[in-house]
Amino acid sequence: MARVEDTLHDRELRQAGAMGAAGTLRDEEITVSDFTTELSERIPGVEFELEPEQEMLTVNMGPHHPATHGVLRLVVDLEGEVVKDLKPVIGYVHTGIEKSCETMQYWKVIPFVERMDYLSYFFNMQAYVGAVEQLIGLEVPRRAQWLRVLHMELNRIHSHLVWLGTSALDLGAMGVYFYCFRDRDRVLDTFEMSTGQRMHTRYFQIGGVAEDIPAGFEQKVRKTVEQLKTGIHQYESLLDKNEIFLIRTKDVGVVSRERLVELGVTGPLLRAAGDPWDLRKEGEYLAYPELDFDVPVGTVGDGYDRYRVRLTEMKESLKIIEQILDGLPEGPWVADDRKYALPPRAELSTSMESLIHHFKLVTEGFRVEPGEVYNPVESPRGELGCFVMADGSSKPARVHFREPSFVNLQALADMTIGEYVADLIQTLAMLDPILGGIDR
Amino acid sequence: MSIRPDEIKVVPRGPEPGGMGGAYRAFGETLRGLRTTMGRLFEKPVTIQYPEEKTPVYPRFRGRHKLHKFEDSGLEKCVGCSLCAAACPAECIRVVAAENDPEDRVSGGERYAAVYEINLARCIFCGYCEIACPFDAITMGHDYEMADYNRSDLIFTKEMLLAEPIDRTPLRGEGE
Repeated sequence: MARVEDTLHDRELRQAGAMGAAGTLRDEEITVSDFTTELSERIPGVEFELEPEQEMLTVNMGPHHPATHGVLRLVVDLEGEVVKDLKPVIGYVHTGIEKSCETMQYWKVIPFVERMDYLSYFFNMQAYVGAVEQLIGLEVPRRAQWLRVLHMELNRIHSHLVWLGTSALDLGAMGVYFYCFRDRDRVLDTFEMSTGQRMHTRYFQIGGVAEDIPAGFEQKVRKTVEQLKTGIHQYESLLDKNEIFLIRTKDVGVVSRERLVELGVTGPLLRAAGDPWDLRKEGEYLAYPELDFDVPVGTVGDGYDRYRVRLTEMKESLKIIEQILDGLPEGPWVADDRKYALPPRAELSTSMESLIHHFKLVTEGFRVEPGEVYNPVESPRGELGCFVMADGSSKPARVHFREPSFVNLQALADMTIGEYVADLIQTLAMLDPILGGIDR
Repeated sequence: MSIRPDEIKVVPRGPEPGGMGGAYRAFGETLRGLRTTMGRLFEKPVTIQYPEEKTPVYPRFRGRHKLHKFEDSGLEKCVGCSLCAAACPAECIRVVAAENDPEDRVSGGERYAAVYEINLARCIFCGYCEIACPFDAITMGHDYEMADYNRSDLIFTKEMLLAEPIDRTPLRGEGE
């Protein structure tokens, strides 16, 4: 319709120009008040009134906006500086990982899924690997469970450090950003030492972990824990009572606990609103029931509570890591089931049977009886669940992830409508969305 | 199991902004923050002057692949079984096997890899090829400087993977 009108209008203008009478065609200016009067006349019984102050401006924030923490586009309706409506537009980094997983053998899916939410790769792996282990009924050795928890908690700290650094940067705290990335690098060093890669480590394998931790790893982690404690003290001394930080975060972006539950929000956002929902306590997976740690909750649910909850979570994670280093059980680090786990390398040159198992597992993979399983874990951003459906072949029929960032992003409109644009940036930062996880 | 009440830790709220306290914090807390930042002046820098100084890696670090030969006979370890290509999630390895000539052997087994190519532009460095190889013929090296100007230059052939790489990457010890 619009196109036709445009061309008609163009033609009129051209004709008018040809006649040398440009401007005479549209000398009658139609104002908005004329329009409302006309509407009121046409529709009897309804008064259309003009509010002279109201002028809505629709702004596209993103997709390439540094404060969106990824490739997120926000269509924001602004009235002055106040956000009146907000629609997140996603899909700019859609990679089709879930679909690609259907063409891979079960063990080859692992490097794929860890590339979704690129800040919580150990959690992605645990969600998927745990689901497959439940499908085939495989028991994970105790040492492997503890090693998994060790790496996941280090990963939680790493993820929160990136969140804290970028969020503080959005509020103008440059120094915190550098301190966070300095400490994040130390955590990544421990990953490099034990798994061989700083990110996307494929360390968790079906039945356990890929290899045992190297010699000297315990000392390295202990040193990192000490450095992190100093680091957390530094962020606290910079932010906790900083007047600008207090003004910017307190009572901003508050959503009631009931509304958050309705929206399906989990993780630190929900805990900041006062709901002590933590799958590490509720879900009872891996070694968590044996470990002693607290669940930090907030009272109001504003930006300041979210900051405090995440910072306290980092301290609790350090507590868990120290307990694991003290009580790491000895034993095998991968299940001794040759049907599902690769045989040890030393056996390949001596045992024909092991070599056959090895060839079979690497080329065809193992077959899984038809069934489906949903396995949730507590990721740094909330409930990360993996749904795996098996159809009897050696490749999963469906792999689907419940990404916490995706679900949490729904709450952004509730948090920001009625607030200022500057607070929208702050609230989005405190929401901690990872676009790689949202789009998958 | 659900959470016990004593495991719930309510985080402190911190001071309310504004007022007399706000006026104090605008100076006092800023000075305290400055003490934190200024204290870092006396620490060693954590940065590395990269192109001049290489980042050291741990022994397990997975960098560019290497193909290996037997040290005594000089024959290639790879027998062209294509297990690495089958294990690769990124499908970046291409192996074409051929029969060994008894007069002029290339590898230790019956067959050898006539073509062995790794597309490093596709490789995700997961190391599954290293796990899959039953003969330790392919391992992940420590080299991480692989940038190039053409994509075609990133397809590494057998000769390039067999060649002893220029050792540019320092290795970290256990305690570092």
